[in-house]
Amino acid sequence: MADYDAIVVGAGVSGSTAALCMAKAGMSVLVVERGDRPGVKNMTGGRLYGHSLETILPGFAAQAPIERTVIREKISMLTGESCCTLDVSSARFANPASASYTVLRAEFDPWLAGKAEEAGCDVVCPASADELLYDNGKVAGVRAGEDELTADVVLLADGVNSPLGRKAGLKKELAPDMVAVGVKEVLELPGGVINDRFNLEPGEGAAHLFAGEPSQGMVGGGFVYTNKESLSVGLVMSMHTLTASRSRLPDLLQAFRDSKALKPLLSGGKLVEYSAHLVPEGGLRMLPTLAADGVLLLGDAAGFCLNLGYTVRGMDYAIASGMLAAETALEAKNKGDFSAATLAGYTTRLEQSFVLRDLHTHQRAPDFIGHTSRLYQEYPQLAEDLLTGLFTVNGPSTLFIKKALPVLSKAGLFNLLKDAFRGARSI
Amino acid sequence: MKKIAVCYKWVLSDADIRINERTRELDMEKCKPQINEYDRMGLETGVRLKEASGCELVALTCGAATEASAKDALSRGPDAVYCLDDPVMAVADATATSKVLAAMIRSISDVDVVICSEGSSDQYAQQVGPRLAALLGFTSVSYVSKAEVQGDALLLERKLEQGTECVKVIGPVVVSIVPDICEAPIPSVKQILAAKKKPSIKLGLADIGLSADSVAPLLHVAGVKAPLSERKAVRLNPDGVSISEAATALARQLAADGIL
Ligand SMILES: Cc1cc2nc3c(=O)[nH]c(=O)nc-3n(C[C@H](O)[C@H](O)[C@H](O)COP(=O)(O)OP(=O)(O)OC[C@H]3O[C@@H](n4cnc5c(N)ncnc54)[C@H](O)[C@@H]3O)c2cc1C
Repeated sequence: MADYDAIVVGAGVSGSTAALCMAKAGMSVLVVERGDRPGVKNMTGGRLYGHSLETILPGFAAQAPIERTVIREKISMLTGESCCTLDVSSARFANPASASYTVLRAEFDPWLAGKAEEAGCDVVCPASADELLYDNGKVAGVRAGEDELTADVVLLADGVNSPLGRKAGLKKELAPDMVAVGVKEVLELPGGVINDRFNLEPGEGAAHLFAGEPSQGMVGGGFVYTNKESLSVGLVMSMHTLTASRSRLPDLLQAFRDSKALKPLLSGGKLVEYSAHLVPEGGLRMLPTLAADGVLLLGDAAGFCLNLGYTVRGMDYAIASGMLAAETALEAKNKGDFSAATLAGYTTRLEQSFVLRDLHTHQRAPDFIGHTSRLYQEYPQLAEDLLTGLFTVNGPSTLFIKKALPVLSKAGLFNLLKDAFRGARSI
Repeated sequence: MKKIAVCYKWVLSDADIRINERTRELDMEKCKPQINEYDRMGLETGVRLKEASGCELVALTCGAATEASAKDALSRGPDAVYCLDDPVMAVADATATSKVLAAMIRSISDVDVVICSEGSSDQYAQQVGPRLAALLGFTSVSYVSKAEVQGDALLLERKLEQGTECVKVIGPVVVSIVPDICEAPIPSVKQILAAKKKPSIKLGLADIGLSADSVAPLLHVAGVKAPLSERKAVRLNPDGVSISEAATALARQLAADGIL
């Protein structure tokens, strides 16, 4: 008999969710996490869309270590001289069914892993799963150091690189145009100062995304998320354009922090954390084999991540995939059959859920976002020219259309229409 | 040898200490508790002596909120752990700590080898081992960098400033180890899982016949301040001046400061 019904590799949000759901259903579960504590190796820009965890742990936000509830959304187009911002704040954003929260993984992940532990899982860290164990071609456990640990099913929730997923032949090496790289700094500031600078009440948060200058014309963008007493500031850049250029990510981040739009927001902030991480953004194009004999792939390991420019989503997919993997594992346990045929139910569940539906809906997005350089160069410039023109008075007034037309034709009306059309069909 | 007792301290990790630059006070809020690093080597030393002698091995700690340490301690090899957990111990000094540990050891019975490390990462008082020996009436051997079992005896090497002293001890002893004695391995998954099944005994002061008054510290810490390191913050390559220009400027600066 195996040591456990299931072994989960990785105590990120996908792994801990799967472990929690399986344990709640009465399965015996071991989670191995290579970090000293869950979350120490993990990174996120900063915002968790709460809906998927809400279905598993209703009202979780009241007890989880979330930072702030996002009620203010801002998108800015930056050029060297100007900043054009769309700013939407609404009490509607706080509706628990659709709310989003800023989080810090070093706080949030241990909490979620703790929930799994309370439900009866063994959570062991630091412990790295080095290899998969096989029995007659079926995955039958993991080897961690000198220990061999066996289970009927292994859930790989080991993040974007997923070395075990690659070794098992479920997924390929990451290609440069399938991933972005993110850097982030956490800058500490008193909560009151953050409230003042971002126009927030206590507990309320802002998500602020930036296009244009931060990526210096390359595919990518910047973000600022407000935490309780710190700001998460960073950049997400597509690997293929970044490696082709000679820019270094730390320099880009430095320039972003020093930009006119950001400097006053960050002023006085004390650097307490720096991290860098990959973001899968190939969407459906990099979809791996999700289930094989005795093994499932979850979260980032499966590439469930969506970068639409105005929003990055990975954690809510990771959580949902954890829940669906747990349902599948339970079904397999009840049948006493952990073969690929039964575990294929996982793929079906994902297809019926928003996880794979969203990836289908936005399947053109990686291509549009990754290869429409105008989004990062011409359009921020266009916004600047149009909108500064609108507010500039230097004598007799002209109709807006008269100011706008030359600007639009400079950008190329045809391109604009084409990109608007393609954009509308992808993001 | 009948029973080895390894003492460990549950300390706040110093990795996350933050310093208030204005007041120089230490902010320990983000620091997580852990087994004092040197004591992990004490536990490993205990494991090796147990393997060589076949005796029993227990671990003990005293302090505030120490019960949380049991799982980690047990995954490092002892058969059982005793945690004296009392809030008054949060301010304990070396005198109080050794008094409590001595009472715990007496209550455990059969302990004839006690292992301590030379100091903990927070106080580094270097007192607990010798004091404990005095209170228990055991031999005290300090600065131990090697320990081996030879029949009924322990062969110990003491790392001294001028060389190494080898001693052979028979009978009850308190061994204070230096960190070079061994490496402390990270517990394996199976060890961590096995730890859950081993006994962990939580004790209060009353259980070992002591009162809160009897462990009141004699030493009062008036304050702790971080050392001030003033940086000149001179940038020698502003706006990317050439390396050779920057190097010349650096040499000039160092000469002006009287360093060159
Ligand atoms: C810069 C950046 C910004 C982002 N912004 C957002 C955002 O705002 N909102 C959002 O929803 N998503 C965002 N994402 C995406 C999101 O962070 C990920 O999708 C999410 O973390 C995936 O969770 P996961 O549990 O699948 O993987 P991870 O969080 O990567 O967890 C994997 C875990 O597995 C462990 N592990 C790996 N290998 C082993 C092994 N062999 N043995 C044991 N343990 C192992 C790791 O230590 C880690 O704990 C962002 C990502 C980045 C990089």
